[in-house]
Amino acid sequence: MQLAIENVTKRYKKGVVALCGFSLDLQPGVLGLLGPNGAGKTTLMSILATITRATEGRVLWNRTDIAREPDVLRSVLGYLPQDFGVYPNLTAAEFLQYLAAVKGLDAATAARRIDELLELVNLTEARKRPLGGFSGGMKQRVGIAQALLNDPELLIVDEPTAGLDPEERVRFRNLLSDLSGERIVILSTHIVSDVEATATDIALIAKGTLVAHATPEALLQQVEGKVWEWVVSSADLTQAKQQYLISSTTRRSDGVHARVLGDEPPAGAQPVAPNLEDAYLFCLSEHRAGVPA
Amino acid sequence: MNGPRALYHMVRADFLERVRRYSFLLTLGFAVYLGYAVYAGQVTLRLDKYSGIVNSAWLGAVLGLVSTVWLTLVGFYIVKNAIQRDRQTRVGQILATTPMSKSFYTLSKMLSNFAVLGLMVLILALAAVVIQLLHGEDAHIDLFALLSPILILGLSAAAACAAVAVLFESLPVLRGGIGNIVYFFLWIFMLSMSVTEMVPSHPASWLHGLGDYSGIAAVMGQMHAAVLKIDPQYTGASSFGIGPMNLGAKKFLWTGVRWSAGILAGRLMWVAIAVALSLLAAVFFDRFDPARGGWLSEKTAKPKQKGKLGEAALQEGVAVNGQSVSARASAAHLTTFTRTGPRMRFVALVLAELRLMLRGHGWWWYAGAAGMFIGCMASSLDDARTGFIAAAWIWPILVWSQMGTRESQYSTGALIFSAPRAVPRQLLAIYAAGVLVAMLTGGGLALHFMFAGDFAALGGWAAGACFIPAMALGLGVTTGTRKAFEAVYTMWWYVGPLHHIPRLDFMGTTADSSTPVRFLVAALALVVTAYFWRTVRLRYA
Repeated sequence: MQLAIENVTKRYKKGVVALCGFSLDLQPGVLGLLGPNGAGKTTLMSILATITRATEGRVLWNRTDIAREPDVLRSVLGYLPQDFGVYPNLTAAEFLQYLAAVKGLDAATAARRIDELLELVNLTEARKRPLGGFSGGMKQRVGIAQALLNDPELLIVDEPTAGLDPEERVRFRNLLSDLSGERIVILSTHIVSDVEATATDIALIAKGTLVAHATPEALLQQVEGKVWEWVVSSADLTQAKQQYLISSTTRRSDGVHARVLGDEPPAGAQPVAPNLEDAYLFCLSEHRAGVPA
Repeated sequence: MNGPRALYHMVRADFLERVRRYSFLLTLGFAVYLGYAVYAGQVTLRLDKYSGIVNSAWLGAVLGLVSTVWLTLVGFYIVKNAIQRDRQTRVGQILATTPMSKSFYTLSKMLSNFAVLGLMVLILALAAVVIQLLHGEDAHIDLFALLSPILILGLSAAAACAAVAVLFESLPVLRGGIGNIVYFFLWIFMLSMSVTEMVPSHPASWLHGLGDYSGIAAVMGQMHAAVLKIDPQYTGASSFGIGPMNLGAKKFLWTGVRWSAGILAGRLMWVAIAVALSLLAAVFFDRFDPARGGWLSEKTAKPKQKGKLGEAALQEGVAVNGQSVSARASAAHLTTFTRTGPRMRFVALVLAELRLMLRGHGWWWYAGAAGMFIGCMASSLDDARTGFIAAAWIWPILVWSQMGTRESQYSTGALIFSAPRAVPRQLLAIYAAGVLVAMLTGGGLALHFMFAGDFAALGGWAAGACFIPAMALGLGVTTGTRKAFEAVYTMWWYVGPLHHIPRLDFMGTTADSSTPVRFLVAALALVVTAYFWRTVRLRYA
């Protein structure tokens, strides 16, 4: 099982380039795709899901070009788009039955699978309610269920935890970890903690190009010894932000505790263990400064 | 917030949003086509055996009538999406939180509708000048005689049409497909009101045109009087429509509309009615409150089940940052999946599509559909063929109009089109479901034909059952909107089957007007067009 993205470029009308020579090779596991807004994540997801065609380059699923033979991938694909709709007059179960028919599942398999998936996403008791009355989080869970209908070998989820409450977010993270065994899962998000909890690999993307592709440990290794905790007064915080790259701040009784990223610490700063958010911000800042990852 | 500057920006933003969409090119294309149709002699005006010499006054009158009659029909369907767009783009939710009043909003929407329709009128005005230069029998251009009918009649009718569109969008029951059908009959009614006022001996009076929304009576009344002067035997017969009706016509000199105070007051009155209608729309406008979305959305929003709902059902001592949550969210609960090809599942997909089509209607709809079937069966063969079948096949218009548009309307395209062989399988399944709907509502007539052994008539019926869903699918996929089918089908149904016009009678309501082969070929062409259109659109997404 292999997904190879080879020099993919996507150029929209009016010359907007969303992806530029993007290459990545994926094996079973959970890939966390991280990047700022407008980095090209959703375009990449859409190309991998065979919804959009790349302008240049190709995507190979087990050595088959998905632009030429999209059905080879589609039969094993589960896709949760960032924005999707539902049919408001159908119940959750009916909507899933409909999509199961579209995906070619036989009736018995579909019925069993839908029962299990509704249980899995905690919608069993709401299965007979029309989707028009569902909250955003409940619709998102229906979306998650439909992505898993055909037991996909490639699961692509774009901002899957958007709209979920903290409990459901945790449930979904755990579900992704469970699912990751013999399949490729691509999780696109800008919520670093989601990636931290589930990803076996991380790809950083910015301005349509791949900034870094590594394990979480390797990314953390890059910022080892470059994260500092610095206590500053509230009055000095604005100036500190101009001087240093600060990943987060916490107000305490003795002042503002700022996490500073950099080779050289500010005076009085103490070294601390880096987290993935530090690594993410550090990589992006290095990329913007033109330093190769 | 509610000042002229804010109004200007509301109208401007809405207008720019519309004109920067590709679909606006179709709108412009329609206006250009109308101009071309007049140039090519496809739109003609004739008073019995008379037609006017093509000078500025005659061209202005013809194009004035074109703008007021056709733009108010097609234009309505073009602009009736101003509030819907704010709903879909969710900009409405932002607007609703501003101090903007409801009447201010509906007035701004009326004005932006008017701006779009007004632009089409201006294109016709420009076309008038070009037509006279290229085609006129009298090369002298009298700008006032040429442009005044187009601008005065066209713009006032455009204002009325723009306001009616806003009013329909504000009324929950008229917001959707029912409104599209109702407007067609309202347009027929208003046009007949205009024609009723068109009495040759009737002089223009103060507030002439109270029932003359289109201004036809104002123009045609004066033309009738002009023809009467040269031919006292003139009966008052006149025709205005599509077709080469000017062939062999005698020419008379038309010097232009005399814009009396009464006529102008009548036109201004329709502008005032337009403003009043847009303010009336504010009474019904829900200000994007989902709780006030009308009976349809209330029905779907109400939870049908009592007791604990899914969101609150998690009871297993879940800690937000704990791991105990994973117990129920484990993928281990999923049984092993046996992967099979989708080829044998087509029937299941057709049934799924059929169920999707038939959901969301009240009991009265199903009762009506059953009534149509029984009516076709229980009535005499003649009554069923010439009358009941037309009713049976207008009843599911809102079911058919979903075909090919649901994916864009509900944003489910990404979920569906990422499935294997989704385009051919799903498209054919939708079509098959549409044919089944035709068979379910009009099936009584087919049984009648079978019992009577009239297989030629049965062929005509079958062609209709194949053609209607094909038209719905073709228009739905190519336009992405339900309105196109609802408008075109209603007009066609009214002109063709209801009046048994040969070549247009796709239901075969009489033996003389039935042409099944023509409509079977057309059905095939429409389905193939829908397939290629969708394939190409997805390929170049």
